[in-house]
Order: sequence, then structure tokens, then C-alpha cells
Amino acid sequence: MIDTLLQTLLNGAASGGVYALVALGYTLIFSVLGVINFAQGALFSLGGYLTYLLLGGKIGVNGALPGWGLPIELPFWLALLLAALGSGAVGLLVERIAFAPLRRRGAEPLLSLITSLGAGVVLVNLLQLLMGAEGYAFPQAAAGLAHLPESLLLGGARIRTIQVLLLVISALAVASLSLWLERSRSGKAMRAVAEDPTTATLLGINSVAVVRLAFLLSGMLAGLGGGLIGMSVSLAGPYFGISYGLKGLAVLVLGGLGSVPGAIVGGLVMGLAEALIPSEASGWRDALAFAILFAVLVLRPSGLLGRRQLEKV
Amino acid sequence: MIDNGLLVQMILGALLGLSVYLPMAAGQLSLATPAFYAVGGTLAALLSTQGNAQSAISLWAVLGEMLLAGCLTAGLALLVGLPVLRLRGIYLAIATIALVEIVRVAILNLPFTGGAAGIFGIPQPFQKPFGYVLFSGALLAVCGWLFQRLEASRLGRSMAAIRDDELASRCMGIHTTRVKLTAFLASAVLAGITGVIAAHYLNTWNARQGSFDVAITTLAFVILGGSRSWLGPVIGGLLLTALPELLRPVGDLRLVLFGLVILLGPVFFPQGLITPALLERLGRWKP
Repeated sequence: MIDTLLQTLLNGAASGGVYALVALGYTLIFSVLGVINFAQGALFSLGGYLTYLLLGGKIGVNGALPGWGLPIELPFWLALLLAALGSGAVGLLVERIAFAPLRRRGAEPLLSLITSLGAGVVLVNLLQLLMGAEGYAFPQAAAGLAHLPESLLLGGARIRTIQVLLLVISALAVASLSLWLERSRSGKAMRAVAEDPTTATLLGINSVAVVRLAFLLSGMLAGLGGGLIGMSVSLAGPYFGISYGLKGLAVLVLGGLGSVPGAIVGGLVMGLAEALIPSEASGWRDALAFAILFAVLVLRPSGLLGRRQLEKV
Repeated sequence: MIDNGLLVQMILGALLGLSVYLPMAAGQLSLATPAFYAVGGTLAALLSTQGNAQSAISLWAVLGEMLLAGCLTAGLALLVGLPVLRLRGIYLAIATIALVEIVRVAILNLPFTGGAAGIFGIPQPFQKPFGYVLFSGALLAVCGWLFQRLEASRLGRSMAAIRDDELASRCMGIHTTRVKLTAFLASAVLAGITGVIAAHYLNTWNARQGSFDVAITTLAFVILGGSRSWLGPVIGGLLLTALPELLRPVGDLRLVLFGLVILLGPVFFPQGLITPALLERLGRWKP
């Protein structure tokens, strides 16, 4: 009994870690620009597919080049890192095309919601053109993880190794990001721009560079999440990232928009809550995140750890 | 190229565009339209497939379903709108996305809505698509007339005032909560009855009809058509529904091109296709 509970909790924490990654990606951009990048889910998908290809996976029969694959088989950690960088680079591109022109013109922030959604639609459908709509399972043996046991015995509970890996990697990513924001010069610059862009610019901070950095990091977080989920579950078609993108949105609101610790706590809460749903009701699992989101918005719009917004008149 | 079948879908798109436009005309970014559309369609599908299966249904029965769907969605909108409309901007948008997802998962999992496959064999009030063209076209014409009247009415002007400055309009004595709620209710009812027509026309209904994708596309109708007058969402709905079909010759690239339109449209046409300046130029006829 206690073993299954421990198992459930660890599974919940592992998927919660990935939710936290996605939500942190939203948070970085929201805190510097006050907008939400709806292409985040597509970048998540992209990260998954890039990881698959870098691991030496081949394109399936419905893709543009059936049977084609990269001539390399990288170890898992390197493929994950490069895929995250790739998603980050595309995130930068999204900023250039979907956000920068509107910002330069001082257009309504609402418009960037549409343009980023459009960027997401383009990305997902390009993925579909290239890779086809079929699901992909990662080449496990090639991932350099073959020497690891399939599952670990932890306090009587049997846990898949990949779940532990998932938890550790997302915890590392979240911790290093928090440390970077807290300590480093560029992290401080980012926090300054988040606090007040005008003053930050007057103080000599290059706010354009900070915005780009936010998009790069945000894309990397999404890509990392996609690679991790692809490894632990599979890639269920190019749209698989969209549902993680939407759940990340729920986590973002749960933790409080723009709050870094909120995104982390929110992710864990969401992952654990989902894991605790009994398997008979698993069809309803996807509704839970949004029911929580709805309740939080109505009861406590500032989220669990968000700052209360004062209305300026 | 544009046959009657596509024309029906274009008109339904225009109606959904109007549904998204209504709250936006009062300054509220609500993406809830697909949720109410799904509720209306599911209601019609359930009611008309009860009892002995027939392939035809009288127009009166469809009108009755539309009335019921209107009442149901209005009730739901009242229930949801009161707490949700206190939220602003992006918070409201996210809350309504949540509503769409909750409704989608509910329709997917409820024991009587047919699961992932949905409900089949929904009877038809018309034998040919042309009947649907006339019916939905008449509804669109009525809506156009109502919207034209609305913009000159007290309610319409209150909505415009709230869009420009909510605080100032409250100071001027406008009951902002009531006006916003009215716009939200009307939007829900319009989406619900559009769902009824769509369910009959499509002959089958499932949870995917009201998904996040639909929220994106219907929002794009308004943004690309133009959100400053009701003609904008109508034009946007007609054009953007036709676009993927007209792009069929390019095959698999069409969804990529559709995404590019959504991505680049606001960059090049920040006010949409139908701008106030354009309406001005069209002469005295200014909706």
C-alpha cells in the first residue's frame, strides 16, 4: 500500500517536474514582456522530435523522407542538450517574427497572442510534413542508457529509471535557472527588466538582449521537456506538445503569473494531483488541471505564490 | 471551387466569428466560443438521435433544439460568466481556454456522448446542402441586422465605452458587469445555436468539434477580419474557413500556409482587413 503510494508520488513528481519546465518557460517571457508565448507547446514538440533524430531515430513511412535519419547516434544527455538548444534557437526565431515587429510598433499585446499561436501552428504542421502524423518510440538501446536497469527498487517501490532521470534532470534545470536568475549579472538584468523595463533601460541594461535571452531560455526549457517526455513515454504525433503547453499554462496560473517559485511549486502540485487520480477515472485526468486553473482564477487570481497585482488608476 | 457545402461552413464560420466578436466589442478577450458551440452541437446530436432512428427531421424540431440550446448555453454562460468576467485581459483568456478544455474532456468522457467516436447518424432537416445555405444564411442576415442595430443602441455604445476605458465608463454610470455579462451571454447563445446547425449539417458530432484549435481559428477570424466592426469577423470567418479548402491544391502545405496567415496577418494588418478607415471610405454606409 505504502509502496504504491510512494510510486504514485514519484511518478507525479516526475511529470510535475516537466510541467514546471514548461511553466518556467512561460514565466520568463511573461515577466519581461507581460505576454504569453503560445508557441511554447510547439517548441515542446520540436524538442521531442529533435531529440529523437539526434539519438539516431529514423523518419517513419508517412514522413517527407521515409527511412531517413541523421548519420549520428548521440548519447542521450548530449542529444537532449542539443535538442534544447535547437528549440531555443527556434524560440529566438519566433521572437523575431511573431513578437518583435509588434513590439516595435507598440501594438496591442493581444496581437502577439495570435501571432505566437500562428507560429505554433506553422511549427507543428512543418513537423507533421517532415515526420508524418505517426507516433515514435525512442531508440532505447542507442540512447546510452542500455547499461542502466529498467527499474529501480526504492524503499520497496519499483520505479522506472527513466522517471528518476526525468525528475533529476528537470530539478537540475530548474535549480540552475533559479540560481542564474538570483546570482548572475545577466540574471539580475532580467529581473530588473521584469520589474520595470523603462528604469532598467535607463540604468544601461540592454533590454532587447534580455528579451532575446528570455526567449532562448524559454525555448530551451520547452525543448528539454519535450525530449524528456519523448524518452519516458513516446512522441504521440506532432501535436503532443500542445497539450503540455496548455497544461503548462494551467501551472503558470496556479503558481501565479510571473513567479519563478510559483511555477515550480505549481508544477509539482499539478503533477501530484494528476497522479493521485485513480486509474478508473483516468479519462478525466486532463480536465483536472483546468478545473484547478479555473478554481484558482476565481478564488485567488494571483496564484499560490504570485504577488497581488495592484490596480493602477 | 466554392460549392454549397463549403458555403455552409463559411457561413457557420462567420457566425462563430460574430460570437467571439461580441465579448471583444465590450473589451473582453473570451475564447469560450468553442465550449458553447460544442454544448449546442452535443445537445442537438443527443436530442435528434433519441428514440427510433430516422434520417430526416422536421425544421420545427431543429428550431426547437436551437431554442433549447440557446437556453442551456445562456444558463451555462451566466453560471461561468459571473465569476470569470471579473478577470481581465490574459487571465480571462486563460480561464476561458480552461472552460473549453473542461467541456471537451467532459464530452469525451460522459457515458452518453459516444466517447472519442462521438454521435453518428444525426438526422437532416434538409436533403441538400443548399437548404443549409439558405437557413444559415438567413440566420447570418438576421445577426447582421441585429449587430447593425446594436452598434447604434445604448447597449452597443456602453460596450464600446467599456472597451475604450472600463473605469471611466463605470464612473459615467454604466453598469459594467451587466453589460459585459450580456455580451458574454449573447456570445454563448450564438455559439450554441450555431452548434445545433453544424451538428445536423455534419451528420456526426464529437468532442473534437470544440477544441483549443477551434478557439484559435475563431479568434483569428476576428483579428484578421477586423475587431472594430461586426463586418470584420463576418468577412474573417468567411475567408478563413474557405482558405484551407482553397489551398487544397498545395496539399500538405496548406495548414502551414494557414498558420503563416495567422502569424503574419496581425503584423501586416494590425487592425484587420475591415478597418474603421476602410468603412469610412466606403461612404456614408458605416456600420
